[in-house]
Amino acid sequence: MLSGRPTTGGMKLALISDVHANLEALQAVLQALARENVDLILHLGDLVGYNANPRECIDLILEHQILCVLGNHDRAVLDPRLAEDFNILAYQAVIWSEQQLTEKHRVFLQQLPLNRIIQDRFLVCHGNPINPDAYISLHFQGKHALNMLRRDFRPATVCFFGHTHRRAVWYRDIRGKVAQLPISEEPIRLDQENLYLINPGSVGQPRNRIPFASYAIFDTSEFILQFKLVPYNINAAQRKILAANLPTYLAERLAEGV
Amino acid sequence: MQGFRKEGILKDGTRVILRPMVREDRDKLIDFFSRVADEDRQFLRNNVRDPKVIETWVNNIDYHKVFPLLAEVDDKIIGDATLHMRRSGWKRHLGNVRVVVAKEYQRRGLGTLLINEIAELATEFGLEKLVSEIYFNAPGALAAFKRAGFGVKAVFEDLVKDQYGNNADMIVMVCDVEARRDRLRARALANL
Repeated sequence: MLSGRPTTGGMKLALISDVHANLEALQAVLQALARENVDLILHLGDLVGYNANPRECIDLILEHQILCVLGNHDRAVLDPRLAEDFNILAYQAVIWSEQQLTEKHRVFLQQLPLNRIIQDRFLVCHGNPINPDAYISLHFQGKHALNMLRRDFRPATVCFFGHTHRRAVWYRDIRGKVAQLPISEEPIRLDQENLYLINPGSVGQPRNRIPFASYAIFDTSEFILQFKLVPYNINAAQRKILAANLPTYLAERLAEGV
Repeated sequence: MQGFRKEGILKDGTRVILRPMVREDRDKLIDFFSRVADEDRQFLRNNVRDPKVIETWVNNIDYHKVFPLLAEVDDKIIGDATLHMRRSGWKRHLGNVRVVVAKEYQRRGLGTLLINEIAELATEFGLEKLVSEIYFNAPGALAAFKRAGFGVKAVFEDLVKDQYGNNADMIVMVCDVEARRDRLRARALANL
């Protein structure tokens, strides 16, 4: 069963992030999720930018009633002045994406919140809990975000985030130790006493040198997390990028997972 | 990459265009390097006054290997920064940065602008750290890299030679790309 509204009991959540207008990757992930029997799909920001199907991806997200938060590229497409701090490749993709959107798509992006809380316990954001531009990659960034979660978002204990395009699980145990768990595709049982930051990787532009769309499944009652990878039609996505006259490198990188 | 560009602003308000090098840049590059001062030219790997060198560059552009970023004002190249990468091996996460700025645009923030843009691009290429080798007695270059988030990691005494054949020190500066972003963001927030 899939619905756009969280329920009050235990749920099977699908975590997807950073679709970045890659329709082939999003379709592959949604097909895989159709077999997972999830209760709710959460998108952790950056629906647009980099790849060639921003409109189609937003339409698919709407069709599947996927709950989303605002990413830094989503925000930049709404106000391209914000993209002036982006690098030249990302900047060009934002300018191109902005020209592709219709009013309906803009309105959809405009109403996206910076964060959401699901069932009081699960915080959803893009960069860190309050800033879609911030990264959680280094130890001090993980520590900072976990402190934020503990201090400002109680009783939430788990934060789902994206932005880095790399899978990650950060934790803070009851003694205050902050560290990362090793990533594997085996189910990971989390300790409900800990605080967690979970990044499912990117659907549309993975940067872990594995050229598959990445997502994760999280069981809220058992606290079991499982990362998943799914192959998709990279050639088709690349052809569209080239046809749209977006930078060639944006197509090439998909095959390398960078 | 033809047609891709972005605007940057120097300290004195001059607006410059930043864009990747393309094959059609041959003549503009020859003109640019003819204007680069001799004391700056000594640090370059190739004889940039030889048009064949420039032709080799523009005819063999491979953005995966070397990403060349140019700065232009009034259709004239005024700066050139390159990001050198390896796609495999133990240094595949490292990028080497080299920058040349026309004499008349030095001390105006162009070096920092180019290095900042290269550092932002680094994550797009999957790089984690950037490295630059700098002549000890080039305070402008050292300051530009420092402002862009690089720190001195090593000094190799008497390792290189200047244009007069004298031994000189070489400095290696390194920038952690993710940490740099965080520092810049914190600095921007502090300035609000």
